[in-house]
Amino acid sequence: MASTISSSVRRGAAALLAGLLAAAPAAAPTAVAQTDVRIGVKASGTVKSPLLLATFRASGAAAGAATDARAVARRDFDLSGVFAVADVDPLDKKLEPDPSLQGTVRVEGTVEASAGGFRFTGEVFDLATAESVLRRAYPFTRETARITMHRFVDDVLEQLTGERGICETQVAFVRETGRIEEIWVMDYDGANPRQITHDRTIALSPAWAPWGTELAFTTYKRGNPDLYLFDLHRGASYPFSTRPGPNIAPSYSPDGKWIACALYRDGNSEIYLISRDAQTARRLTRNDRIDSSPSFSPTGREIVFSSDRSGSPQIYVMDADGVNQRLLTLEGKYNDSPRWSPKGDKIAYAARHDGWFDVVVMDSDGQNPVQITSNAGHNENPQWSADGRKIYFSSSRSGRRQIYVMNADGSDVVQLTQGDECFNPAAGPRPRGSVK
Amino acid sequence: MRRKPRIATLVLAGATLALTVALGCASRKQVTTATPEPTPPPPTETPAPPQETAPPPPPAEQPTMALEDAFFDFDDASLRQDAKSALEGDAKYLEKNSSANVVIEGHCDERGSVEYNLALGEKRARAAKDYLVSYGIPANRMTTISYGKERPFDPGHSEDAWSKNRRAHFVPK
Repeated sequence: MASTISSSVRRGAAALLAGLLAAAPAAAPTAVAQTDVRIGVKASGTVKSPLLLATFRASGAAAGAATDARAVARRDFDLSGVFAVADVDPLDKKLEPDPSLQGTVRVEGTVEASAGGFRFTGEVFDLATAESVLRRAYPFTRETARITMHRFVDDVLEQLTGERGICETQVAFVRETGRIEEIWVMDYDGANPRQITHDRTIALSPAWAPWGTELAFTTYKRGNPDLYLFDLHRGASYPFSTRPGPNIAPSYSPDGKWIACALYRDGNSEIYLISRDAQTARRLTRNDRIDSSPSFSPTGREIVFSSDRSGSPQIYVMDADGVNQRLLTLEGKYNDSPRWSPKGDKIAYAARHDGWFDVVVMDSDGQNPVQITSNAGHNENPQWSADGRKIYFSSSRSGRRQIYVMNADGSDVVQLTQGDECFNPAAGPRPRGSVK
Repeated sequence: MRRKPRIATLVLAGATLALTVALGCASRKQVTTATPEPTPPPPTETPAPPQETAPPPPPAEQPTMALEDAFFDFDDASLRQDAKSALEGDAKYLEKNSSANVVIEGHCDERGSVEYNLALGEKRARAAKDYLVSYGIPANRMTTISYGKERPFDPGHSEDAWSKNRRAHFVPK
């Protein structure tokens, strides 16, 4: 859609908006106005707000950097799931208010060469009022161009929607090469994939600490499937739980003080809370079936998990001290891998039906399950992005398992990894200090 | 060469053991769901493996002994009759070869989450171990480990492949 729009754009904003609305009639101003946070920009998948992204102005020496920086911003706005992006020329005259453009924004950028690098100035206009709603300058170098534009786009999202984006976040995952499975980390959009573990064995199930510089994961480096913690700053891992049998499915509490996981010390898989200092372990489940895949609610007061206590895997919830365990999923014979949304209102999980796995999102009380993937291989391991707008998952739709991301309503599926099998995505938190 | 399904090789000294194991194998029932294969001939005989997946003949002074895998239904760790039959044969072997210690690996097919299958694989390995213990094999001769769905015997995506992958598999310790 964007390319069709961009070809018609040069005729001006009014013509563009007409084209946008024709192409995406759901983006009518009335629909956009419902969840007005700042100027009517709605954060949703299928209903998008028009965003006109101008070619960045640049002096000669900064022209290349401007082109590269704009390409990063363009992809970020596209991936946000919030905007329908159209390419326009820079403003050449003063903006006039146009109330018919309620909910439409225009982004202007200028890149100048400066001592030691460049300086980007971004400005966002509300086209209905012709007012500048954000103007900010960012110094950057060739090396920091990507992260700088990520920060700008997240700033724009925060200003327009009240909810910061995830452009500065990372995604951990497992890549299998031959029979070696290692933990990798990539940028939120699939860029810069880099190998984290080098144990040449099986590493699985990475989970992010809330502070974003530590991963808990399962590794066979000492033979048994043990839980280790990887310090991303030091580049080193440390044993966390090495009890005999599987030590699996780690998930940090929101305050980072506890790691929920599944241990096999009682003759079958039970969910435990282990303090981050590994000094205290509390057993939360007690039955002779498999309890696994715990995930904290954002308040830390409840834990959703899977259990086959009824005969096949289903989604259950309990208080964080293990009491009040109850079944949440009311349909489907096989439901697993639950993840609580960052806002707390939804739970995503993988459901098996007719032999295929698909991602389902339901209310956190188990009501209104909606299947958001279909007809495309096995779709599993849903993981919410930090802003709750996106769901990362693994899919075998291309033959091999790969990591994909989609809007939380299932729209705009984008493949992020290629080549070797990739699975077990874990979407990281926003970097500390970026949340205002 | 690909490994042979259902058969783990244990290399032990002493050619005389080969005969007892061969007899043990011959008395075992065939599993019913995995691809049927003939029992391997005694290793001391000049073998003509009927299928390409059979291991090469070992040197006479280090005969190959076989323990049969136990196979499972999808999302299930209970022992089917064919699994019990295989384990009975394995128990006889372990009884006669009291110095042989084994690791029992639990494996799953590719369906379902990494984490659930790690737990399920352990459950399968322990089900096999418990059955052998009930036959009098000392528990301290056997350890279990789950590989979940991470080490399939057959990388295929069909029920035929899956049925070979849902297994408790023996390796020497």
